[in-house]
This record gives sequence, structure tokens and C-alpha cells, in this order.
Amino acid sequence: MSQIRVLSLEVEDAPNTLTKVSGAIRRRGFHVRGISVGPSRHAGRFRLTLQVDHGHAEADQVRKQLERLVEVVEVEDLTGDEVHSRELVVANVATSDVDALVRLGAKVLSGTTVEFSGERDEVGAFIDELHRHGIVDVARSGPVVMRRA
Amino acid sequence: MILEALEREGVEYVFGYPGGANLPLYQHLHEHPRLKHILVRHEQGAAHMADGYARACGKPGVVFATSGPGALNLVTGLCTAYMDSVPMVAITGQVASTQVGRDAFQESDVIGATSSVTKHSYLVTKIDQLPRVIHEAFHIATTGRPGPVLIDVCKDVQQAEAERVTPDRLQIAGYRLNGHVDLGEASRAARALAEAERPVILAGHGVILSHAEPQLQELAEAAATPVGTTLLGIGAFPVRHPLSLHMTGFMGTGWNLKAVQNADVLMMVGMRVDDRVTARLADFAPRVKTFIHVDIDGSEMGKNVRPHIELVADAKQALAAMTPHVGPVQKDRGRWLSQIDAWREEHPLRYKHSNGRLQPQDVLLDMYRRADNRAIVVADVGQNQIWAALWWNYDRPGLFINSGGAGTMGFALPASLGAKFARPDLPVWCVAGEGGFVMTAQELSVAVEHQLDVKIVILNNFSLGMVRQFQDDFYGGVRSHVDLTHSPDFVKLAEAYGLPARRVERLEDVAPALDAAERTRGPFLVDFRIDPEANVYPIVPLGKSLNEFWEAPEA
Repeated sequence: MSQIRVLSLEVEDAPNTLTKVSGAIRRRGFHVRGISVGPSRHAGRFRLTLQVDHGHAEADQVRKQLERLVEVVEVEDLTGDEVHSRELVVANVATSDVDALVRLGAKVLSGTTVEFSGERDEVGAFIDELHRHGIVDVARSGPVVMRRA
Repeated sequence: MILEALEREGVEYVFGYPGGANLPLYQHLHEHPRLKHILVRHEQGAAHMADGYARACGKPGVVFATSGPGALNLVTGLCTAYMDSVPMVAITGQVASTQVGRDAFQESDVIGATSSVTKHSYLVTKIDQLPRVIHEAFHIATTGRPGPVLIDVCKDVQQAEAERVTPDRLQIAGYRLNGHVDLGEASRAARALAEAERPVILAGHGVILSHAEPQLQELAEAAATPVGTTLLGIGAFPVRHPLSLHMTGFMGTGWNLKAVQNADVLMMVGMRVDDRVTARLADFAPRVKTFIHVDIDGSEMGKNVRPHIELVADAKQALAAMTPHVGPVQKDRGRWLSQIDAWREEHPLRYKHSNGRLQPQDVLLDMYRRADNRAIVVADVGQNQIWAALWWNYDRPGLFINSGGAGTMGFALPASLGAKFARPDLPVWCVAGEGGFVMTAQELSVAVEHQLDVKIVILNNFSLGMVRQFQDDFYGGVRSHVDLTHSPDFVKLAEAYGLPARRVERLEDVAPALDAAERTRGPFLVDFRIDPEANVYPIVPLGKSLNEFWEAPEA
């Protein structure tokens, strides 16, 4: 059984928020596997997407412990739901590899810098492909997740 | 502005210590005579005093400390309050907002250091945040599952002038209160108790915090169900009630543990079900078919034991909602209650008093005869704590105060002083071992300065008794660094601080010493030199199940 919970949080845009969230996760013996954060549609609030390993605790403890934090306005547990989960890769590659990567779905940002987005596995496969080509440099984001409409 | 806000919140006492980063606050304290400031001798003492104050009267304890070491000295006290859900508001000075992050003198990341031991915390860098923050802090500290809230206020904010504003109605988006009782679940829980063959209720601190003792008793009587309490739940149910199982957990009474281990329905109310209650978790209450858990904190559901029926609600409302649905009680209930009576006969509390040494129980029983159920007992941590828990028949809530979750040595003396500030009308006894006592003994100055009528009982066994007992019984008998022979002469120490004291080594001197303590107005200390080999029983060996408790040797 997967130990990973996928959670989408709406949190206060405050200097302590990330400390409190990561502190609660650490203190309860959980482990962050993926994280992304950005402004939400509400002013003064951020959307935080987390993939968390719940360790030896019951699976729903992750949600419950995060809900206790005053900085956390809402927690949605998306684990097992039908979702769109997107990650982003930006890479500098060799000139000769650009065309092959574009054929795999990458988009050229400028010169030899390409971007690719997709589900976790697709992004993993794309990075494997980069390794085969010999990457110059790569940056990968955490997931942004939304329940399917 | 902070001081005005505290007055508005109805604060009577502040326990604190001044320093560089909270000087502006102290400069104006004298302009607010309604706020009585108690100067402690160490910030940890302030936190425990505020804690004892809050536990004794239910109002939030308030603490002041300066930045850096001042604030960090609060951490143990905040943790103690956090683990036991005690309402507290700590206001710490922080370096000026323009200095934050520059490693300024006495700067430390107090929010970072206290996040895991506070219910919530704020860093205030602008004056206009203050009124809202203080009002929110008191609200959060005192509602739902109570706890300590810390407000770290930059020095320039303390000095800033601003127009007086009364904060608007509270709107805290991320703060949820669980007041609602699911009546369907309440009815199911009530029927499960009534229809059970061998039901047991365990009551924790949440019952006391919610003032749910009458509702608990009504439900227990309606469902003819015996009730045990946790260490912090002592007082939630009268020990002398026929349905009482006294204290549960790995140092609980034999008849309680037998009942828990044989129960078929177990209801846990206002408690965390921690390892001290369950002993080896896999073997906890193994015959239970239906676990019922009532707690105001939803994260307690399934944290340690997965309930079949859960009520995330205030204990008082939940218990009150259950009683009307109890209905007819299972016919054979008398058999279960007789079985418990048989266990009570078979496994009584007892202690060895045949070796000519003064036993701690001799002291506590004499104290209890004097105080009955009118005195507050504040215990420290260790053997003294368990003896004080088991050998008094607490019949009302709020009379037994101790650090249950955190197990903080040094808690008793400052907490007992805080309790006395809160309840000057009640006798207050401080019970401590000599190990814990010296950890915060500097607060004797506060007792003397304010002539607090607190009777300090040191159960002195010249060792870290609980650790010594564990080493003897569970760690191969190797006594490693538990010898406290080199303690101060406590009578002289008391005299040096300016309070009267006595030393007692023999049983016949117990009563005269306690007489003297009672006759004296103001603080009094008695150094009872007890049997250094006295142990706590019953006890479940570490890592074993509740079934495997050891009992005291025959008297």
C-alpha cells in the first residue's frame, strides 16, 4: 500500500506558515516527497501541494495534524482520487538533442533551453531520456494537483 | 497597548522576568495596577507558575519574558502546558524588527524554537497587528482544546505609539472549533455501553477541562458502567464512588487494569490514549469489540487506538447527549461489577511499612486526613507524583495538579505557587522529590516575598527514586547516577530563603511536623527522610502489557 498522501492546502500568506507546516510534518514522523507553493485565488492565501509519506502513523493523521495548524485554512486529501498532477522540468541540453526532445513533447524556451510538463511518471521518463542524451543542467518542480472535473 | 489589551482580557496576574527586549513593557507596568506582576527567579518558574494558576482556576496563565535566553527558558514550561492542554499566553520581547535576522544581542528564533510546543504563535513586527493578535491569542489559548500561545513582540513595536483600537469580532479562518455532537453516534455509543457485558469508561483531562464531571457520573450511573481515570483525569470521577476504578495506566490500580484488559466495550473520553495508558499497544484492552473515543481534537481519533465509534466534540456536550439514549442495561451487569469488586479485593493498593523506615504513604495518608477533599495537591514528577495520585481519594476536580504528559521535573514548586495565587481560599500542598525540588528551588523567594501559604513536602529518598526503581527492576540492577546524597540541607536552605522548615525521619514526628505546617501562616517546608528503597506499585514493566503488572510486596 502506498505510504504517500497527496494533499492540497490553502494556507495563510504569513512568514511562519511554511515553518509551521514543515514542523508539524517532521514532528509527527512524516516525510515530504514533493512540494509546490504559489498564490491561490484568494488574496492573502497560498495554495500548497504536498506529497507526504505518513510513516507509521495512520494515513489520515497527515490531514488531521495539518488541520490543527491555525495557519492552515483548508486541507483537501486527494490521495487515490482522479486528479491531474503536473510537474515541470526545465533543462539546458546540447544543441544536437533539441529536436529529439521536442518530438517527445518538450517546448523550446530559448536556444538550447527546453521545458516539459506532465504527470510524475512522464516527467521521470523525460528526465531518463535527458540522462541518455547527457544533460547540461536540469530543474524539476514539485507537483501541482487538481481533482478532475 | 499590550498592557491595556491584557486588562481588557481580564488578566489579573502576570508571571514574568524583565530584560533588554521587553523593557518598554516593564516601563509602563506600574500604570496598570490591575495587572499584578509576580517577579519570578527564572523564566521556567514563570511558565510553571502560570500553568499552576491556570489549572487551579481555569483562567489562562500569562507570562512575560525577554528575548533570547529569557524566552528560551520558557520552552520547558510551554511544553508542559502544551502536553497537558493548559491555557497560557506568553508574551516575549524580541529584538527590534530592523535587527531581526542580524544575530543581534539576545536574538533567537523564538517562534522556531517554540512552534512544536505551542498551540499557536505570532511574531509581531508592526503595531497595528497587536490588538488583533492579543485578542486572538487569548481566544485560541482558551477555546477548543486549550493550550499555550506565544506572542513574540519586537522591541520597536512595544515602543510604538498607536491609536487605541478595540479589536473587531474574531475571524480566524484556519481555526476550527468542534462543538457539534453527532446525535446518531452519541446514541450508538450509549447503547453500546448499556448492551455491553463488560463495559468500562476511562476519563481524561478533557472531562475536567470541559467541566463534564456531573455528566460523566450521570452516564456512568445510568449505564451501570465503571469509570477509571488517567493521571490527568484524576478528580473527573470520585475515587470513593462504587463505580470508581481509580487510576488507569502502567502505574494504575490492579482492579482498573484487570477491568480494562477484560472489557468488551471501552469508552475513552477526553484523553490521548498515550503509551502510559496503553502500555504495550498491541495488547491494550485485547477483548474489546467496540472502542468509543470522545475528544474535542479530531486528530486524536486513531492516533493511537482506532475507535469504532468516534465523537469529535466537547466532552460535556457529548456525555450529556448520550445519557438519554442509554435505555435498558444488560441484565448480567451485576456479575461484571462483582467481578471488579473481587479484583479490588484481590489486588488492593498496599505498601510495606514493616521495616522501621518512614514510608511516603505514611506522610501522604496523614496529609489526606487533614486536608480531605479541600486542599489542592501539586505534585512533581516521579515516584512522589504517583504516590500522591494513588494515595489520596480525590473526589472533586482541580485538586490534583501535576505534569502528566511532559513529565517535567521541577514543576511542583512554581506550579503550587501559581495555584495559590489562583485559589487563595484553598490550602495548597506541594509534593516533590528532592531531585525535582532543586531544579526550581529558586522560586522559594517568590513564596517568601508574597508570604504564600503553601506547604512544601519533600519526600526525600536521597536518590532519583523512579529512575533508581527502573534501574533496579528493568535495567539489570545497575544503579547509575541516581545517588543524590549530596543534596543541600533543606532546612537550612529554607531558612536561607526565609521560610520555616523541619526535618522528619520517624513516623511519630510526621503529625507534629504537619501540625506545625498547618499552624504556620505563609510558606513552610518539611523535609521527610523516607525509605530510600520505597517503590511505586503497581507497575507494569516497560514494554509489557497491562496484564503483567507487578504488585507491592505483602506489607
